[in-house]
Amino acid sequence: MAKRILIVDDEPRYLRLLEANLRTEGYEVVTAQDGAQAVDVFSNQPIDLVLMDVMMPKLDGFGATQRIREFSNIPIIILTAKGDEQDRVRGLDLGADDYLVKPFSATELLARVRAVLRRAQPPSEAGQSRFFTHDNLKIDFARAEVWRGELPVSLSATEYRLLLQFAHHVGKIMTSEDLLTSVWGPEYRTDKEILWVSIARLRQKLEDDAHTPKHIVTRSGLGYLMPPIEE
Amino acid sequence: MDDQTIAYMQELMQIAARAGNSRDDIEKFLAKLREQFVFDNVAVYLQDESTQTLEVVYARAIGRAKYAEADAAWGEDFAGQVLQKGKLLLQDPTPDIPSEDRLHQAYLLGLPFREEGLIKGALIFVRFGGPAYEQNHITMALVATELLSMLFERVTWKELHRELHDLKRQMQLQEDFVSTISHELRTPLGFIKGYSTSLLRQDTSWDDETQHEFLTIIDEEADRLALLIENVLESARLQSKTLPLRFQPLRLDAVIRDVAQRIRSRYKELDVSMDIQNASPISGDGVRLAQVFENLFTNAIKYAPGAPIFVILKQVGKSLVVSFLDRGPGIPKESLPLIFERFYRVRSEKTVTGTGLGLYICKQIIAAHRGKIWAESNPGQGTTFFIELPITPSN
Repeated sequence: MAKRILIVDDEPRYLRLLEANLRTEGYEVVTAQDGAQAVDVFSNQPIDLVLMDVMMPKLDGFGATQRIREFSNIPIIILTAKGDEQDRVRGLDLGADDYLVKPFSATELLARVRAVLRRAQPPSEAGQSRFFTHDNLKIDFARAEVWRGELPVSLSATEYRLLLQFAHHVGKIMTSEDLLTSVWGPEYRTDKEILWVSIARLRQKLEDDAHTPKHIVTRSGLGYLMPPIEE
Repeated sequence: MDDQTIAYMQELMQIAARAGNSRDDIEKFLAKLREQFVFDNVAVYLQDESTQTLEVVYARAIGRAKYAEADAAWGEDFAGQVLQKGKLLLQDPTPDIPSEDRLHQAYLLGLPFREEGLIKGALIFVRFGGPAYEQNHITMALVATELLSMLFERVTWKELHRELHDLKRQMQLQEDFVSTISHELRTPLGFIKGYSTSLLRQDTSWDDETQHEFLTIIDEEADRLALLIENVLESARLQSKTLPLRFQPLRLDAVIRDVAQRIRSRYKELDVSMDIQNASPISGDGVRLAQVFENLFTNAIKYAPGAPIFVILKQVGKSLVVSFLDRGPGIPKESLPLIFERFYRVRSEKTVTGTGLGLYICKQIIAAHRGKIWAESNPGQGTTFFIELPITPSN
């Protein structure tokens, strides 16, 4: 079956360039003109590879990469400008698999795409879903939206990142240090109080009864976890 | 200290601590001080670092010498002594020159004025005809001097802060420009590289139509690159005022009609209405003026896509006034004063290509014609650019 590639760029002429060349190699091509549209297109159909520009309106390439990485391991190639070393590093840190420096030649583009597709693991169905549910809690990774039952929950950016830590590690106890490092950064490693306050706030928003939490449970002296749901 | 004194001191301190950078605050402070500590003249002298001389930076005649102007004592020499000795000094009027005029009987109190802990000048109080300064007056004057020097220091800091802020903004603009321009230059270059290497691919063949499409793109992008470079160079020349303008008699109505026609042929959908009087000829550079209007059109197309455009030309007295309206989203209030600055671009959610040079170039061209260009905008309702050009510009 032909591999399907999502190309994301706000310049129609780049879309045309990428599309024309990719089609000659027998790839199927879908397009998006900004990061938000890219996440939408991505979550609505099977995609094998994403070619993502960085500077785009609405959601930029970094934001879209980060969003996609929250629920998918599909290879992403970032298109950056030459000289923007920081951009390339940032892209790779956010989970991009490779980058292509603009201006690039058509043959280099095709070679990169072949190489990345060759390296790519066959997508495992588990952990690739756009939605996550835990009892009455539901997360839409693609839109970064959270519901408690039928009610949409409004979370701060930090609260959402904290929740993702639990959702990505269901059943695993996370220490305060783990959580502080991955959500706030290494310099906050020992700043336990900020974690306490955030977990308390998250429980207020997510739990039916914040005093007997179901989603984020304390394991005294060890850390916190999202317990597995008993079938 | 009794409650009343504490309340009074608190008031003094509040004025000093809340002072902005206006002289009114110093005035207010001295008025408050005078409620408890009487003086006629006051002067602050600061040492000029470069010349090592004392400069008077503040002086007020409040009491008896109010109308004596320069004739009364201000303690200039005395200030030098205070600075030299670095301590509080008192000077009573010379007793062997008796005089009826109180203004000749000056009681001086000089206090070292500090900035950042170092003695940088002197504060002089003058009382004409007494009374002599008593210990409690002197204590009050000492406190007042400390507070005043704090107030002066704050003023200096605030000025520095403002300068730094301006500098930082300039640097930000330069930085933005470098990153924008490299992005802008790289975009056409990327197309030229991408489409030409596509045509050069040996592992595939393109049909005639596609080949033509790609070559057209390469051609157009090469033009865009050339225009961009031309813009950057032009703005540099305008900045250094080395761009030659060729003045000749011309009709502005004809220039605008020409530009509008050219734009319409490029953007067939564009909705342009014009109300253009046949205007008196002016002296101007037709190519440059056309460039201004072209810029206004392309801006409207970029920033107010799909919105109708109205162009009105009227003769008002000895000037021609062009109003260029669009019914687009408008320009945010805070951006409006900045849009004619070099490299400035309105930040928005939408990425619109540009160099931040267009309106800057327009302003320079209009200024070279001794005219004015400005904009008014109501967010959500559109933007109007006004251009005023004198009918007979003097050289």
